[in-house]
Amino acid sequence: MNKKILLLVALVFAAGCAKKQMIKPSEEPQAAVEAEDTTEPSVRFKDWQPVVELSAVVFDYDSVELSAEARAVLKRNSEYLKSHREFVALVEGYCDERGTVEYNLALGQRRAQSVREYYGRLGVSLNAIGTISYGEEKPVDPASNESAWAKNRRAETKIRLSQSK
Amino acid sequence: MFKYTVSAILALLLSAVVCATDIYLSLSAHGSRMEMGAAGFVPQTPTIEESKASREILEVLLSDLLFSRYFNIVEDGPLYTGKDEELKIWAERGANILICGRIRISKGELILTVQALDIGSKQPIWEKVFNGKQQDIRKIAHEANDDIIQRFTGERGIASSQIVFCNNKTGFKEIYICDYDGYNVRQLTFDRSINILPIWSGTSILFTGYRNDNPDLYSISDSGGKRRVISERQGLNTAAAPSFDGSRIALTLSMGGMPKIYLIAPSGEMIKRLTFGSYSDTSPSFAPNGKEIVYTSDSPGYPQLFIMNVDGGNIRRLPPRGYCDSPAWSPRGDKIVFTMRQGRGDKYDLFVYDLPSGEITRLTQNEGDNENPSWSADGRFIVYSSSRAGGSGLYIIGADGSGRRALEKMAGRSYMPDWQK
Repeated sequence: MNKKILLLVALVFAAGCAKKQMIKPSEEPQAAVEAEDTTEPSVRFKDWQPVVELSAVVFDYDSVELSAEARAVLKRNSEYLKSHREFVALVEGYCDERGTVEYNLALGQRRAQSVREYYGRLGVSLNAIGTISYGEEKPVDPASNESAWAKNRRAETKIRLSQSK
Repeated sequence: MFKYTVSAILALLLSAVVCATDIYLSLSAHGSRMEMGAAGFVPQTPTIEESKASREILEVLLSDLLFSRYFNIVEDGPLYTGKDEELKIWAERGANILICGRIRISKGELILTVQALDIGSKQPIWEKVFNGKQQDIRKIAHEANDDIIQRFTGERGIASSQIVFCNNKTGFKEIYICDYDGYNVRQLTFDRSINILPIWSGTSILFTGYRNDNPDLYSISDSGGKRRVISERQGLNTAAAPSFDGSRIALTLSMGGMPKIYLIAPSGEMIKRLTFGSYSDTSPSFAPNGKEIVYTSDSPGYPQLFIMNVDGGNIRRLPPRGYCDSPAWSPRGDKIVFTMRQGRGDKYDLFVYDLPSGEITRLTQNEGDNENPSWSADGRFIVYSSSRAGGSGLYIIGADGSGRRALEKMAGRSYMPDWQK
Protein backbone atom coordinates (compact mmCIF):
# COMPACT_ATOMS: atom_id res chain seq x y z
CA MET A 1 0.00 0.00 0.00
CA ASN A 2 2.67 2.47 1.11
CA LYS A 3 4.84 1.34 -1.78
CA LYS A 4 2.14 2.22 -4.28
CA ILE A 5 1.77 5.73 -2.93
CA LEU A 6 5.53 6.15 -2.96
CA LEU A 7 5.65 5.00 -6.55
CA LEU A 8 2.87 7.38 -7.50
CA VAL A 9 4.68 10.26 -5.85
CA ALA A 10 7.82 9.17 -7.63
CA LEU A 11 6.10 9.10 -11.00
CA VAL A 12 4.60 12.57 -10.52
CA PHE A 13 8.01 13.82 -9.47
CA ALA A 14 9.64 12.15 -12.46
CA ALA A 15 7.14 13.76 -14.82
CA GLY A 16 7.92 17.11 -13.23
CA CYS A 17 11.61 16.68 -13.80
CA ALA A 18 11.13 15.63 -17.37
CA LYS A 19 9.26 18.88 -18.05
CA LYS A 20 12.04 20.98 -16.56
CA GLN A 21 14.53 19.30 -18.84
CA MET A 22 12.36 20.04 -21.85
CA ILE A 23 12.71 23.74 -21.06
CA LYS A 24 16.49 23.58 -20.93
CA PRO A 25 17.45 20.85 -23.37
CA SER A 26 21.05 22.01 -23.68
CA GLU A 27 21.84 21.33 -20.03
CA GLU A 28 23.35 18.02 -18.94
CA PRO A 29 20.58 16.24 -17.02
CA GLN A 30 21.02 15.54 -13.34
CA ALA A 31 20.96 12.17 -11.59
CA ALA A 32 17.83 10.05 -11.72
CA VAL A 33 14.95 10.74 -9.38
CA GLU A 34 15.97 9.19 -6.12
CA ALA A 35 12.60 7.91 -4.98
CA GLU A 36 11.94 6.01 -8.19
CA ASP A 37 11.68 2.26 -8.18
CA THR A 38 14.63 1.27 -10.38
CA THR A 39 13.69 -2.37 -10.80
CA GLU A 40 13.78 -3.57 -14.39
CA PRO A 41 10.48 -4.68 -15.87
CA SER A 42 10.25 -8.21 -17.26
CA VAL A 43 11.89 -8.54 -20.66
CA ARG A 44 10.35 -11.94 -21.45
CA PHE A 45 8.39 -11.04 -24.56
CA LYS A 46 8.71 -11.96 -28.22
CA ASP A 47 7.33 -8.70 -29.63
CA TRP A 48 10.12 -6.19 -28.92
CA GLN A 49 10.36 -4.03 -32.03
CA PRO A 50 12.93 -1.66 -33.42
CA VAL A 51 11.54 1.69 -34.59
CA VAL A 52 13.24 4.27 -36.80
CA GLU A 53 12.99 6.92 -34.07
CA LEU A 54 15.30 4.89 -31.79
CA SER A 55 18.88 4.63 -33.04
CA ALA A 56 21.61 2.27 -31.94
CA VAL A 57 24.79 3.48 -30.27
CA VAL A 58 28.24 1.96 -30.73
CA PHE A 59 31.07 1.42 -28.25
CA ASP A 60 34.85 1.33 -28.30
CA TYR A 61 36.65 -1.99 -27.98
CA ASP A 62 36.08 -3.64 -24.58
CA SER A 63 34.40 -0.45 -23.36
CA VAL A 64 31.07 0.38 -21.74
CA GLU A 65 31.68 4.16 -21.86
CA LEU A 66 29.21 6.32 -23.78
CA SER A 67 30.94 8.60 -26.27
CA ALA A 68 29.71 12.18 -26.87
CA GLU A 69 28.19 10.92 -30.10
CA ALA A 70 26.42 8.08 -28.27
CA ARG A 71 25.09 10.48 -25.65
CA ALA A 72 23.64 12.71 -28.38
CA VAL A 73 21.87 9.71 -29.92
CA LEU A 74 20.54 8.59 -26.55
CA LYS A 75 19.23 12.10 -25.84
CA ARG A 76 17.17 11.95 -29.02
CA ASN A 77 16.02 8.43 -28.13
CA SER A 78 15.07 9.55 -24.64
CA GLU A 79 12.87 12.36 -25.96
CA TYR A 80 10.98 9.79 -28.00
CA LEU A 81 10.63 7.43 -25.02
CA LYS A 82 9.50 10.22 -22.71
CA SER A 83 6.86 11.37 -25.16
CA HIS A 84 5.60 7.78 -25.70
CA ARG A 85 4.81 6.51 -22.26
CA GLU A 86 2.58 3.83 -23.76
CA PHE A 87 5.79 1.95 -24.55
CA VAL A 88 8.23 0.04 -22.40
CA ALA A 89 11.78 -0.21 -23.71
CA LEU A 90 14.38 -2.97 -23.94
CA VAL A 91 18.04 -2.12 -24.29
CA GLU A 92 20.00 -4.91 -25.98
CA GLY A 93 23.78 -5.02 -25.47
CA TYR A 94 26.03 -6.59 -28.10
CA CYS A 95 29.75 -7.21 -28.63
CA ASP A 96 32.11 -7.95 -31.47
CA GLU A 97 33.39 -11.51 -31.89
CA ARG A 98 36.74 -10.89 -30.23
CA GLY A 99 37.01 -12.03 -26.65
CA THR A 100 35.35 -15.07 -25.19
CA VAL A 101 31.65 -15.86 -25.21
CA GLU A 102 31.36 -15.62 -21.42
CA TYR A 103 33.19 -12.31 -21.15
CA ASN A 104 31.21 -10.81 -24.01
CA LEU A 105 27.91 -11.78 -22.38
CA ALA A 106 28.99 -9.80 -19.31
CA LEU A 107 30.27 -6.92 -21.45
CA GLY A 108 27.01 -6.77 -23.45
CA GLN A 109 25.04 -6.69 -20.20
CA ARG A 110 27.11 -3.78 -18.93
CA ARG A 111 26.67 -1.91 -22.23
CA ALA A 112 22.91 -2.33 -21.97
CA GLN A 113 22.98 -1.19 -18.32
CA SER A 114 25.14 1.78 -19.19
CA VAL A 115 22.52 2.92 -21.74
CA ARG A 116 19.65 2.23 -19.34
CA GLU A 117 21.30 4.29 -16.60
CA TYR A 118 21.84 7.16 -19.01
CA TYR A 119 18.18 7.05 -20.06
CA GLY A 120 17.36 7.25 -16.36
CA ARG A 121 19.53 10.34 -15.96
CA LEU A 122 17.72 11.84 -18.96
CA GLY A 123 14.41 11.36 -17.16
CA VAL A 124 13.09 8.18 -18.72
CA SER A 125 11.35 6.09 -16.11
CA LEU A 126 13.75 3.28 -15.15
CA ASN A 127 10.99 0.84 -14.37
CA ALA A 128 9.97 1.07 -18.03
CA ILE A 129 13.42 -0.01 -19.31
CA GLY A 130 14.69 -3.58 -19.27
CA THR A 131 18.04 -4.92 -20.45
CA ILE A 132 19.34 -8.04 -22.16
CA SER A 133 22.79 -9.09 -23.34
CA TYR A 134 23.38 -11.11 -26.47
CA GLY A 135 27.15 -10.96 -26.11
CA GLU A 136 28.70 -11.79 -29.48
CA GLU A 137 25.73 -13.92 -30.59
CA LYS A 138 23.97 -11.57 -33.00
CA PRO A 139 26.40 -9.54 -35.11
CA VAL A 140 24.86 -7.07 -37.58
CA ASP A 141 27.87 -7.76 -39.79
CA PRO A 142 29.31 -11.29 -39.52
CA ALA A 143 32.63 -10.36 -41.18
CA SER A 144 35.89 -10.53 -39.20
CA ASN A 145 37.34 -7.07 -39.74
CA GLU A 146 37.58 -3.70 -37.99
CA SER A 147 34.61 -2.16 -39.76
CA ALA A 148 32.33 -5.11 -38.92
CA TRP A 149 33.53 -5.16 -35.30
CA ALA A 150 32.88 -1.43 -34.94
CA LYS A 151 29.25 -1.96 -36.02
CA ASN A 152 28.74 -5.00 -33.81
CA ARG A 153 29.83 -3.34 -30.55
CA ARG A 154 26.46 -1.72 -29.98
CA ALA A 155 23.35 -1.22 -27.89
CA GLU A 156 19.92 -1.16 -29.50
CA THR A 157 16.73 0.16 -27.96
CA LYS A 158 13.50 -1.63 -28.82
CA ILE A 159 9.94 -1.09 -27.62
CA ARG A 160 6.62 -2.77 -27.05
CA LEU A 161 3.25 -1.54 -25.85
CA SER A 162 3.29 -1.63 -22.07
CA GLN A 163 -0.22 -3.03 -21.73
CA SER A 164 0.09 -5.80 -24.33
CA LYS A 165 0.40 -9.33 -23.04
CA MET B 1 58.83 -37.42 -15.62
CA PHE B 2 55.46 -38.65 -16.77
CA LYS B 3 56.93 -41.79 -18.27
CA TYR B 4 58.61 -42.63 -15.00
CA THR B 5 55.37 -42.12 -13.11
CA VAL B 6 53.63 -44.54 -15.43
CA SER B 7 56.37 -47.09 -15.21
CA ALA B 8 56.42 -46.78 -11.43
CA ILE B 9 52.69 -47.46 -11.33
CA LEU B 10 53.16 -50.35 -13.72
CA ALA B 11 55.96 -51.78 -11.63
CA LEU B 12 53.76 -51.66 -8.55
CA LEU B 13 50.85 -53.33 -10.28
CA LEU B 14 52.97 -55.92 -11.93
CA SER B 15 54.88 -56.82 -8.79
CA ALA B 16 51.51 -57.69 -7.28
CA VAL B 17 50.88 -59.94 -10.27
CA VAL B 18 54.27 -61.58 -9.88
CA CYS B 19 53.55 -62.44 -6.26
CA ALA B 20 50.13 -63.83 -7.00
CA THR B 21 50.73 -65.91 -10.10
CA ASP B 22 54.45 -66.03 -10.59
CA ILE B 23 54.43 -64.33 -13.97
CA TYR B 24 57.36 -62.38 -15.23
CA LEU B 25 56.77 -59.44 -17.55
CA SER B 26 59.67 -58.24 -19.63
CA LEU B 27 59.26 -54.52 -19.10
CA SER B 28 61.96 -52.19 -20.23
CA ALA B 29 64.06 -50.91 -17.39
CA HIS B 30 64.39 -47.37 -18.82
CA GLY B 31 60.79 -46.39 -18.21
CA SER B 32 59.83 -46.83 -21.84
CA ARG B 33 56.32 -47.90 -22.70
CA MET B 34 54.99 -51.41 -22.72
CA GLU B 35 54.87 -53.16 -26.10
CA MET B 36 51.25 -54.20 -26.40
CA GLY B 37 50.03 -56.44 -29.19
CA ALA B 38 46.36 -56.26 -30.18
CA ALA B 39 45.28 -59.54 -31.70
CA GLY B 40 41.54 -59.22 -31.80
CA PHE B 41 38.86 -61.65 -30.76
CA VAL B 42 38.13 -65.17 -31.93
CA PRO B 43 34.57 -65.72 -33.25
CA GLN B 44 32.94 -68.44 -31.17
CA THR B 45 29.94 -69.64 -33.19
CA PRO B 46 31.57 -68.77 -35.66
CA THR B 47 29.60 -66.53 -38.04
CA ILE B 48 30.51 -63.84 -40.56
CA GLU B 49 28.67 -61.45 -38.25
CA GLU B 50 30.98 -62.29 -35.39
CA SER B 51 34.00 -62.00 -37.60
CA LYS B 52 32.98 -58.54 -38.77
CA ALA B 53 32.20 -57.42 -35.24
CA SER B 54 35.58 -58.73 -34.09
CA ARG B 55 37.34 -56.55 -36.66
CA GLU B 56 35.30 -53.50 -35.78
CA ILE B 57 35.97 -53.84 -32.06
CA LEU B 58 39.67 -54.29 -32.71
CA GLU B 59 39.69 -51.16 -34.88
CA VAL B 60 38.00 -49.04 -32.19
CA LEU B 61 40.13 -50.54 -29.44
CA LEU B 62 43.34 -49.88 -31.35
CA SER B 63 42.33 -46.30 -31.94
CA ASP B 64 41.54 -45.87 -28.21
CA LEU B 65 44.78 -47.50 -27.08
CA LEU B 66 46.83 -45.37 -29.45
CA PHE B 67 45.01 -42.23 -28.31
CA SER B 68 45.80 -43.03 -24.67
CA ARG B 69 49.57 -42.94 -25.37
CA TYR B 70 50.24 -45.37 -22.53
CA PHE B 71 51.56 -48.22 -24.66
CA ASN B 72 53.55 -48.93 -27.78
CA ILE B 73 51.02 -50.74 -29.91
CA VAL B 74 52.02 -53.71 -32.07
CA GLU B 75 49.52 -54.46 -34.83
CA ASP B 76 48.83 -56.87 -37.68
CA GLY B 77 49.54 -60.19 -36.03
CA PRO B 78 47.35 -63.29 -36.07
CA LEU B 79 44.36 -64.02 -33.88
CA TYR B 80 45.35 -66.05 -30.86
CA THR B 81 43.46 -69.34 -30.77
CA GLY B 82 45.76 -71.05 -28.28
CA LYS B 83 48.59 -72.07 -30.63
CA ASP B 84 52.21 -71.40 -29.67
CA GLU B 85 53.18 -70.36 -33.19
CA GLU B 86 50.65 -67.50 -33.02
CA LEU B 87 52.28 -66.16 -29.86
CA LYS B 88 55.69 -66.62 -31.44
CA ILE B 89 54.78 -64.22 -34.26
CA TRP B 90 53.68 -61.59 -31.72
CA ALA B 91 56.85 -62.12 -29.72
CA GLU B 92 58.96 -61.70 -32.86
CA ARG B 93 57.22 -58.39 -33.49
CA GLY B 94 58.29 -57.18 -30.07
CA ALA B 95 55.05 -57.50 -28.14
CA ASN B 96 55.27 -58.64 -24.55
CA ILE B 97 51.58 -58.28 -23.71
CA LEU B 98 48.83 -59.49 -26.03
CA ILE B 99 45.26 -58.24 -25.96
CA CYS B 100 43.13 -61.10 -27.24
CA GLY B 101 39.95 -62.98 -26.43
CA ARG B 102 36.66 -64.25 -27.78
CA ILE B 103 33.48 -62.84 -29.27
CA ARG B 104 30.00 -64.31 -29.50
CA ILE B 105 26.81 -62.79 -30.91
CA SER B 106 23.51 -64.37 -30.02
CA LYS B 107 20.10 -62.79 -30.76
CA GLY B 108 21.57 -59.29 -31.03
CA GLU B 109 23.50 -59.65 -27.78
CA LEU B 110 27.24 -59.35 -28.01
CA ILE B 111 29.48 -61.07 -25.49
CA LEU B 112 33.11 -60.04 -25.61
CA THR B 113 35.76 -61.73 -23.48
CA VAL B 114 38.95 -59.69 -23.34
CA GLN B 115 42.23 -61.09 -22.08
CA ALA B 116 45.63 -59.59 -21.50
CA LEU B 117 48.17 -62.33 -22.00
CA ASP B 118 51.80 -62.34 -20.94
CA ILE B 119 53.46 -63.55 -24.12
CA GLY B 120 56.60 -64.80 -22.38
CA SER B 121 54.82 -67.13 -19.98
CA LYS B 122 51.68 -67.63 -22.13
CA GLN B 123 49.64 -66.91 -19.03
CA PRO B 124 46.57 -64.66 -18.94
CA ILE B 125 47.15 -61.87 -16.45
CA TRP B 126 43.71 -60.29 -16.78
CA GLU B 127 40.33 -61.20 -18.20
CA LYS B 128 36.96 -59.49 -18.31
CA VAL B 129 33.64 -60.16 -20.03
CA PHE B 130 31.69 -57.32 -21.65
CA ASN B 131 28.02 -57.67 -22.60
CA GLY B 132 25.90 -55.36 -24.68
CA LYS B 133 23.62 -54.85 -27.62
CA GLN B 134 25.20 -55.63 -30.96
CA GLN B 135 24.58 -52.07 -32.20
CA ASP B 136 26.50 -50.64 -29.22
CA ILE B 137 29.69 -52.16 -30.51
CA ARG B 138 31.75 -48.96 -30.24
CA LYS B 139 30.58 -48.44 -26.67
CA ILE B 140 31.62 -52.01 -25.76
CA ALA B 141 35.05 -51.47 -27.34
CA HIS B 142 35.49 -48.18 -25.44
CA GLU B 143 34.58 -49.90 -22.16
CA ALA B 144 37.09 -52.66 -22.85
CA ASN B 145 39.75 -50.03 -23.52
CA ASP B 146 38.98 -48.15 -20.31
CA ASP B 147 39.24 -51.34 -18.27
CA ILE B 148 42.50 -52.39 -19.96
CA ILE B 149 43.97 -48.98 -19.14
CA GLN B 150 42.74 -49.24 -15.58
CA ARG B 151 44.38 -52.66 -15.30
CA PHE B 152 47.78 -51.39 -16.47
CA THR B 153 47.89 -47.84 -15.10
CA GLY B 154 45.59 -47.88 -12.08
CA GLU B 155 43.47 -45.10 -13.58
CA ARG B 156 40.43 -45.69 -15.75
CA GLY B 157 40.64 -44.79 -19.43
CA ILE B 158 38.51 -42.00 -20.88
CA ALA B 159 37.22 -43.61 -24.09
CA SER B 160 33.69 -44.02 -22.70
CA SER B 161 33.38 -40.31 -21.98
CA GLN B 162 31.30 -37.93 -24.06
CA ILE B 163 31.69 -34.32 -25.10
CA VAL B 164 28.91 -31.73 -25.25
CA PHE B 165 29.20 -28.69 -27.46
CA CYS B 166 27.33 -26.10 -29.42
CA ASN B 167 26.88 -26.02 -33.22
CA ASN B 168 25.09 -23.60 -35.57
CA LYS B 169 24.49 -25.73 -38.69
CA THR B 170 20.70 -25.37 -38.38
CA GLY B 171 21.05 -21.58 -38.41
CA PHE B 172 20.66 -21.58 -34.61
CA LYS B 173 23.10 -22.46 -31.89
CA GLU B 174 21.92 -25.75 -30.40
CA ILE B 175 23.48 -28.21 -27.94
CA TYR B 176 24.99 -31.45 -29.27
CA ILE B 177 26.74 -34.44 -27.76
CA CYS B 178 29.26 -36.90 -29.21
CA ASP B 179 31.59 -39.67 -28.10
CA TYR B 180 35.13 -38.63 -27.14
CA ASP B 181 36.34 -39.69 -30.59
CA GLY B 182 33.78 -37.56 -32.44
CA TYR B 183 31.49 -40.47 -33.35
CA ASN B 184 27.80 -40.76 -32.52
CA VAL B 185 26.85 -37.07 -32.76
CA ARG B 186 23.36 -36.34 -31.45
CA GLN B 187 21.44 -33.07 -31.25
CA LEU B 188 20.05 -32.48 -27.75
CA THR B 189 18.10 -29.22 -28.16
CA PHE B 190 15.77 -28.02 -30.91
CA ASP B 191 14.86 -24.57 -29.58
CA ARG B 192 15.59 -22.50 -32.71
CA SER B 193 16.82 -19.82 -30.30
CA ILE B 194 20.35 -19.42 -28.85
CA ASN B 195 21.71 -22.22 -26.66
CA ILE B 196 25.30 -21.85 -25.47
CA LEU B 197 27.92 -22.76 -22.86
CA PRO B 198 26.96 -26.39 -22.20
CA ILE B 199 28.71 -28.00 -19.24
CA TRP B 200 28.42 -31.41 -17.61
CA SER B 201 26.93 -31.77 -14.18
CA GLY B 202 27.01 -35.49 -13.42
CA THR B 203 25.01 -37.21 -16.16
CA SER B 204 23.07 -34.06 -17.03
CA ILE B 205 24.14 -30.96 -18.90
CA LEU B 206 23.72 -27.33 -17.87
CA PHE B 207 23.51 -24.64 -20.55
CA THR B 208 22.35 -21.08 -21.09
CA GLY B 209 19.39 -20.64 -23.42
CA TYR B 210 17.39 -17.67 -24.74
CA ARG B 211 14.20 -19.65 -25.42
CA ASN B 212 12.27 -17.63 -22.86
CA ASP B 213 13.70 -14.24 -23.97
CA ASN B 214 16.35 -14.01 -21.26
CA PRO B 215 19.66 -15.90 -20.95
CA ASP B 216 18.41 -18.52 -18.45
CA LEU B 217 20.18 -21.59 -17.07
CA TYR B 218 18.70 -24.95 -18.03
CA SER B 219 19.48 -28.56 -17.30
CA ILE B 220 18.96 -31.43 -19.74
CA SER B 221 19.84 -35.13 -19.65
CA ASP B 222 22.48 -36.61 -21.97
CA SER B 223 19.67 -38.05 -24.08
CA GLY B 224 18.00 -34.65 -24.43
CA GLY B 225 15.19 -35.37 -21.95
CA LYS B 226 14.31 -34.18 -18.44
CA ARG B 227 14.67 -30.52 -19.32
CA ARG B 228 14.19 -28.06 -16.50
CA VAL B 229 14.94 -24.47 -15.59
CA ILE B 230 17.68 -24.06 -12.99
CA SER B 231 17.98 -20.27 -12.79
CA GLU B 232 15.82 -17.67 -14.55
CA ARG B 233 16.83 -14.54 -12.69
CA GLN B 234 16.54 -11.41 -14.79
CA GLY B 235 19.65 -10.73 -16.84
CA LEU B 236 22.61 -13.08 -17.14
CA ASN B 237 22.40 -16.67 -15.93
CA THR B 238 25.62 -17.62 -17.69
CA ALA B 239 29.02 -19.33 -17.43
CA ALA B 240 27.67 -21.92 -15.01
CA ALA B 241 30.15 -24.40 -13.53
CA PRO B 242 29.21 -27.19 -11.12
CA SER B 243 31.53 -28.28 -8.32
CA PHE B 244 33.14 -31.68 -8.93
CA ASP B 245 30.82 -33.32 -6.38
CA GLY B 246 27.79 -31.68 -8.00
CA SER B 247 26.60 -30.08 -4.76
CA ARG B 248 26.87 -26.46 -5.92
CA ILE B 249 26.88 -24.39 -9.10
CA ALA B 250 28.95 -21.22 -9.52
CA LEU B 251 27.65 -18.87 -12.20
CA THR B 252 27.43 -15.28 -13.38
CA LEU B 253 24.23 -13.39 -12.55
CA SER B 254 23.54 -9.72 -13.28
CA MET B 255 20.03 -9.19 -11.84
CA GLY B 256 19.92 -5.55 -12.93
CA GLY B 257 23.43 -4.85 -11.64
CA MET B 258 27.02 -5.83 -12.37
CA PRO B 259 27.76 -9.34 -13.68
CA LYS B 260 28.98 -11.09 -10.54
CA ILE B 261 29.67 -14.65 -9.42
CA TYR B 262 27.16 -16.40 -7.22
CA LEU B 263 26.78 -19.86 -5.73
CA ILE B 264 23.48 -21.63 -6.19
CA ALA B 265 22.23 -25.12 -5.32
CA PRO B 266 21.59 -27.62 -8.16
CA SER B 267 17.90 -26.80 -7.60
CA GLY B 268 18.64 -23.17 -8.47
CA GLU B 269 18.16 -21.88 -4.93
CA MET B 270 20.51 -19.04 -3.98
CA ILE B 271 23.33 -19.98 -1.62
CA LYS B 272 25.63 -16.96 -1.63
CA ARG B 273 26.93 -14.01 -3.59
CA LEU B 274 30.69 -14.46 -3.96
CA THR B 275 32.08 -11.33 -5.65
CA PHE B 276 31.45 -7.59 -5.28
CA GLY B 277 32.55 -4.36 -6.95
CA SER B 278 31.71 -2.42 -10.11
CA TYR B 279 33.30 -4.64 -12.75
CA SER B 280 32.57 -7.93 -14.53
CA ASP B 281 33.33 -11.24 -12.86
CA THR B 282 32.66 -14.38 -14.88
CA SER B 283 33.84 -17.84 -16.02
CA PRO B 284 34.13 -19.57 -12.61
CA SER B 285 35.68 -23.06 -12.40
CA PHE B 286 35.88 -25.13 -9.22
CA ALA B 287 39.02 -26.75 -7.87
CA PRO B 288 38.40 -30.51 -7.65
CA ASN B 289 38.50 -30.32 -3.84
CA GLY B 290 35.62 -27.81 -3.93
CA LYS B 291 37.48 -25.31 -1.75
CA GLU B 292 38.58 -22.75 -4.33
CA ILE B 293 37.26 -21.20 -7.53
CA VAL B 294 39.30 -19.75 -10.40
CA TYR B 295 37.49 -17.03 -12.37
CA THR B 296 37.89 -14.02 -14.63
CA SER B 297 37.53 -10.43 -13.47
CA ASP B 298 38.18 -7.19 -15.33
CA SER B 299 38.80 -5.32 -12.09
CA PRO B 300 42.37 -4.45 -13.24
CA GLY B 301 40.83 -2.83 -16.35
CA TYR B 302 40.91 -5.92 -18.53
CA PRO B 303 40.06 -9.59 -17.96
CA GLN B 304 42.50 -11.34 -15.62
CA LEU B 305 42.50 -14.64 -13.75
CA PHE B 306 41.87 -14.77 -10.01
CA ILE B 307 41.43 -17.50 -7.44
CA MET B 308 39.13 -17.09 -4.45
CA ASN B 309 38.08 -19.36 -1.65
CA VAL B 310 34.66 -20.88 -2.13
CA ASP B 311 33.21 -18.42 0.41
CA GLY B 312 34.40 -15.48 -1.74
CA GLY B 313 37.37 -14.62 0.49
CA ASN B 314 41.16 -14.67 -0.02
CA ILE B 315 41.10 -13.32 -3.59
CA ARG B 316 44.48 -13.46 -5.34
CA ARG B 317 45.44 -12.59 -8.90
CA LEU B 318 47.30 -15.14 -11.03
CA PRO B 319 50.48 -14.10 -12.87
CA PRO B 320 49.41 -14.24 -16.58
CA ARG B 321 49.12 -10.64 -17.83
CA GLY B 322 47.46 -10.86 -21.24
CA TYR B 323 43.70 -10.76 -21.79
CA CYS B 324 42.76 -14.02 -20.03
CA ASP B 325 39.53 -15.97 -19.83
CA SER B 326 37.82 -19.39 -19.76
CA PRO B 327 39.94 -20.89 -16.96
CA ALA B 328 39.32 -24.58 -16.26
CA TRP B 329 40.78 -26.32 -13.23
CA SER B 330 42.33 -29.72 -13.94
CA PRO B 331 40.57 -32.73 -12.36
CA ARG B 332 43.95 -33.55 -10.81
CA GLY B 333 43.98 -30.16 -9.14
CA ASP B 334 47.48 -29.03 -10.10
CA LYS B 335 46.83 -27.11 -13.34
CA ILE B 336 44.59 -24.45 -14.79
CA VAL B 337 44.13 -24.23 -18.55
CA PHE B 338 42.95 -20.89 -19.94
CA THR B 339 42.85 -18.80 -23.10
CA MET B 340 44.95 -15.65 -23.44
CA ARG B 341 45.96 -13.12 -26.03
CA GLN B 342 48.95 -10.89 -25.50
CA GLY B 343 48.43 -7.83 -27.71
CA ARG B 344 45.26 -6.23 -29.03
CA GLY B 345 45.60 -7.63 -32.55
CA ASP B 346 46.74 -11.06 -31.39
CA LYS B 347 44.76 -14.28 -31.42
CA TYR B 348 43.68 -16.20 -28.34
CA ASP B 349 45.88 -19.18 -27.50
CA LEU B 350 45.65 -21.88 -24.85
CA PHE B 351 48.04 -21.84 -21.91
CA VAL B 352 48.42 -24.03 -18.86
CA TYR B 353 49.28 -22.53 -15.50
CA ASP B 354 50.97 -25.06 -13.22
CA LEU B 355 49.98 -24.21 -9.65
CA PRO B 356 52.85 -25.90 -7.76
CA SER B 357 55.64 -24.40 -9.91
CA GLY B 358 53.93 -21.25 -11.21
CA GLU B 359 55.11 -22.18 -14.71
CA ILE B 360 53.04 -21.13 -17.71
CA THR B 361 53.12 -23.40 -20.76
CA ARG B 362 51.77 -22.40 -24.17
CA LEU B 363 49.72 -25.13 -25.90
CA THR B 364 48.73 -23.50 -29.21
CA GLN B 365 50.35 -20.99 -31.55
CA ASN B 366 49.52 -19.45 -34.94
CA GLU B 367 46.32 -21.46 -35.23
CA GLY B 368 43.60 -18.82 -35.13
CA ASP B 369 41.65 -18.21 -31.93
CA ASN B 370 41.63 -21.07 -29.44
CA GLU B 371 38.99 -20.90 -26.73
CA ASN B 372 36.85 -22.70 -24.16
CA PRO B 373 39.30 -25.43 -23.10
CA SER B 374 37.94 -28.36 -21.08
CA TRP B 375 39.90 -31.21 -19.44
CA SER B 376 39.39 -34.94 -19.86
CA ALA B 377 38.55 -36.79 -16.64
CA ASP B 378 42.13 -38.07 -16.32
CA GLY B 379 43.60 -34.57 -16.75
CA ARG B 380 45.78 -35.71 -19.68
CA PHE B 381 43.89 -34.14 -22.60
CA ILE B 382 42.05 -30.93 -23.41
CA VAL B 383 39.20 -30.33 -25.85
CA TYR B 384 38.77 -26.78 -27.18
CA SER B 385 37.39 -24.74 -30.03
CA SER B 386 39.65 -23.25 -32.66
CA SER B 387 39.23 -21.05 -35.70
CA ARG B 388 42.47 -22.46 -37.15
CA ALA B 389 40.74 -23.90 -40.22
CA GLY B 390 38.47 -20.85 -40.63
CA GLY B 391 35.08 -20.90 -38.96
CA SER B 392 35.16 -22.75 -35.68
CA GLY B 393 35.83 -26.41 -35.00
CA LEU B 394 36.65 -28.64 -32.05
CA TYR B 395 40.06 -30.15 -31.37
CA ILE B 396 41.69 -32.34 -28.77
CA ILE B 397 45.26 -31.78 -27.64
CA GLY B 398 47.53 -33.40 -25.05
CA ALA B 399 47.89 -31.45 -21.81
CA ASP B 400 51.52 -30.86 -22.86
CA GLY B 401 50.41 -29.35 -26.19
CA SER B 402 51.24 -32.40 -28.30
CA GLY B 403 49.15 -34.50 -30.69
CA ARG B 404 46.38 -32.15 -31.76
CA ARG B 405 43.53 -33.78 -33.66
CA ALA B 406 40.15 -32.66 -34.94
CA LEU B 407 37.21 -33.97 -32.94
CA GLU B 408 34.28 -33.76 -35.34
CA LYS B 409 33.59 -32.99 -38.96
CA MET B 410 30.16 -31.44 -38.68
CA ALA B 411 28.64 -28.87 -40.97
CA GLY B 412 28.42 -25.34 -39.59
CA ARG B 413 30.57 -24.09 -36.76
CA SER B 414 31.12 -25.89 -33.48
CA TYR B 415 31.96 -24.11 -30.26
CA MET B 416 32.24 -24.34 -26.48
CA PRO B 417 33.04 -28.03 -25.90
CA ASP B 418 32.87 -29.55 -22.43
CA TRP B 419 34.30 -32.95 -21.64
CA GLN B 420 32.43 -35.30 -19.31
CA LYS B 421 34.42 -35.83 -16.12
